[in-house]
Amino acid sequence: MSAIETIDLNIYYGSNHVIKNFNLEIPENVVFAIMGPSGCGKSTLLRSFNRLLELNENARVEGDIRLYGESIYKMNPIEVRKRIGMVFQMPNPFPHMSIYDNVALGVKMNKLVESREELDERVEWALKKAALWDEVKDRLDENPSALSGGQQQRLVIARALAMKPKVLLMDEPTANLDPLATEKIEDLIYELKREYTIVIVTHSPAQAARVSDYVAFLYLGRLIEVGKTEDMFERPEEELTENYLTGRIG
Amino acid sequence: MLGRVLKEKLFLAAVFILAFLTVLPLFHIVFSITARGLPVLYKGGVEFLTGTLPPPGDGLGGIAPAIIGTFVLVFLTSIVGLPVALLTGIYAAEYPNSLIGRAVKVLLQIMVEFPTILVGLFIMQVLVIPMGSYSALAGAFALAIIMMPYVAVYTEEALREIPFTYREAAFSLGLSRFKVVFMVLVRIAKKGILTGVLIGMAKVAGETAPLLFTAGGANRVYFAGIDKPVGAIPLLIYNLVQQPYENYHEIAWGAAFILMLVFLAIFIPIRLSLKEVKL
Repeated sequence: MSAIETIDLNIYYGSNHVIKNFNLEIPENVVFAIMGPSGCGKSTLLRSFNRLLELNENARVEGDIRLYGESIYKMNPIEVRKRIGMVFQMPNPFPHMSIYDNVALGVKMNKLVESREELDERVEWALKKAALWDEVKDRLDENPSALSGGQQQRLVIARALAMKPKVLLMDEPTANLDPLATEKIEDLIYELKREYTIVIVTHSPAQAARVSDYVAFLYLGRLIEVGKTEDMFERPEEELTENYLTGRIG
Repeated sequence: MLGRVLKEKLFLAAVFILAFLTVLPLFHIVFSITARGLPVLYKGGVEFLTGTLPPPGDGLGGIAPAIIGTFVLVFLTSIVGLPVALLTGIYAAEYPNSLIGRAVKVLLQIMVEFPTILVGLFIMQVLVIPMGSYSALAGAFALAIIMMPYVAVYTEEALREIPFTYREAAFSLGLSRFKVVFMVLVRIAKKGILTGVLIGMAKVAGETAPLLFTAGGANRVYFAGIDKPVGAIPLLIYNLVQQPYENYHEIAWGAAFILMLVFLAIFIPIRLSLKEVKL
């Protein structure tokens, strides 16, 4: 069964048609990259998967999106977001909370644990999963602004993982990071895909090639091509894809 | 070439002088109030803070009823005004495009600039006349009308300045809108909101006009209850300087100094002690 499936998905901002008739299947426990040049609708598509698009009053969605076969539009959006975590382009740990509270917030607010001890365990578990525990275990009470950009990005990955989601959405998670921090995040993505389905948006074909198992190429709101990453990079079926991969457009 | 450099120098000098002239009155006010008020306080001693108004021509006495009245008024005003103002600001920030949200923003801007004497007249009509007496409560309601738009506008602006990504992050954790607003956004905006609250308090602590027809004033009774007339430092100053007695003028200077201290005591924490949230 697919982790996420879109059926005749169309998205509009006002009269602007930004996602045009997508039928997409994202298998379970893979890294699925959504790549394309700026303004092609990548972030919009990603935000439709956890219904975060609804924060934008102008956005209108037609068609259906299914999470493990169940329509997310028949579910409470809070339930959807509990099962689909998200990491953003700008590292955005909550600036007014400690490192610990950043990871604990979603767990606590959704009452996912019964006791303080369980919460401590969950925070430690999530920080370990995000490969950050060793760097912050002695300063959990500190403000996240004390961390580097790469550490902050791993902190928000921990914040998402603490909810124990099935799917993790990542919107250009390394766009604001230096190459070393990027490498760490990419290693982490590779580690995490054994247990999670990861959907990553990137404008870099090189990153898509490095981290993903499957890749979808978007261009101006259209789904041009989708398939296994190796196949697409070796033998793109569409001329547009080839032009993008070879740097002639984008 | 030389002309350009010279022009730039002249321009900078002009800006500097104008900026200096703009803030000059502030320094002059602080200086003259201190120069004339501090000696009064020194001469009157502790009694100036604890005593009541003397008869004309008979020493300095004290301004305790006015000091107590100002604190009572600021306190009551905060109880009446802050909850409404904070929720209004939050509402306007959360629903900026709704009809009510847009209307509230326009109305708040008008309220900030509204003539305060008219607020006093309004409260006299709806509270003082039906109750049959000036009262602390009426004063507090008049001041609340003046405080609320400040606090609401600051709250709305502080919330609106938060980058959208934090809102997205909070929602992405499966938080309800209520929790997103109260557990995350309001706390990130804490400094801006508190600034608004303190500015609102400082503003009403120094108001005179809205109290003229509402609080009534009290110079010889410390505090009789919230349904009874109450003094206030600005009201006392206003009344005393109109009297022909030398000692009353001195008391007015002393009271002006105290009012300035109260004002600064509320204002300085805004600049100093509030912990900033680093974005």
